[in-house]
Amino acid sequence: MERGRTVQSLSQFIGRFLKFDANEHLFIYVNQSFAPSPDQEVGVLFDCFGSDGKLILHYCKSQAWG
Amino acid sequence: MADDKDVLRDVWYGRIPACFTLHQDQVTEREAEPYYLLLPRVSYLTLVTDKVKKHFLKVMRAEDVEEMWLEYEGTPLKWHYPIGVLFDLHASSSILPWNITVHFKDFPERDLLHCSSNSVIEAHFMSGIKEADALKHKSQVVNDMQKKDHKQLWMGLQNDKFDQFWAMNRKLMEYSTEDGGFRYIPFRIYQTTGERPFIQKLFRPLSADGAVHTLGDLLREMYPAAVTHEGAEKRLQVVIHGIEPLLETPLQWLSEHLSHPDNFLHICIIPVPSD
Repeated sequence: MERGRTVQSLSQFIGRFLKFDANEHLFIYVNQSFAPSPDQEVGVLFDCFGSDGKLILHYCKSQAWG
Repeated sequence: MADDKDVLRDVWYGRIPACFTLHQDQVTEREAEPYYLLLPRVSYLTLVTDKVKKHFLKVMRAEDVEEMWLEYEGTPLKWHYPIGVLFDLHASSSILPWNITVHFKDFPERDLLHCSSNSVIEAHFMSGIKEADALKHKSQVVNDMQKKDHKQLWMGLQNDKFDQFWAMNRKLMEYSTEDGGFRYIPFRIYQTTGERPFIQKLFRPLSADGAVHTLGDLLREMYPAAVTHEGAEKRLQVVIHGIEPLLETPLQWLSEHLSHPDNFLHICIIPVPSD
């Protein structure tokens, strides 16, 4: 995945993959602690919160850790 | 000599005088007067411009009104950036007041996030605080707080209550003496040119051998062009809350005293104004 991709773009991709309705919203979390802004770049999240060459994100339809 | 605590107050109460004018393409029932407002540097546009919206709605027909958005000299203003950052980045070399144009249609979807209510601002603000604490304390301090403590941080910002905010925020500024500082410093470096919105990376307040890292050390690592060498002409300013701190300032001190309420150090790199 390119560094410049945004959280919003990722969220939309997952939403399409899971066949979400237009009004269903996806929450994406880093380290199970915060939900980054939709325009945040994935590359920045990887630099700051990645480990072992990976960035682990959690997604849910409702607010979990926010 | 000013106490360090005075710095916290000065930062919190920083204001920017602004003049809001309705965009000429907006259809109105009668002439719209400009609206003047002092904007808190540490807050967010959508949190403090209800009065602006009400003022202009009085001269507009309901059917012409969609979500309000703001722009400066053609640049849509991102409400989710602190007001002071937007000003320092885009308008600091202009004379005051800061002239902002108000729109109620043609929302620029590619440039701006929607803001349907204050709870959107609250969620964004709290997420910033949590992200900052993930860097400073591996989220331990913010996770040990109760929900009402989180609420107090937000209410302090929303209602401009310095004491209410800092009663809780001081916990996020603590560290153990053996650590000597936070794990990593939460910072974002903004520039007016280039594609990327900001630079944010891991950076420690102390070096491996215990030397104190300064603002200059951070810039040499993240934005070397901002550190002018001996004899060279200075082309860039490094601005935090509208001032240029000395590059020798310890980064840990800056993080504790010049962070925004979201606990991030927001640093603007702007061209030196040409007279």
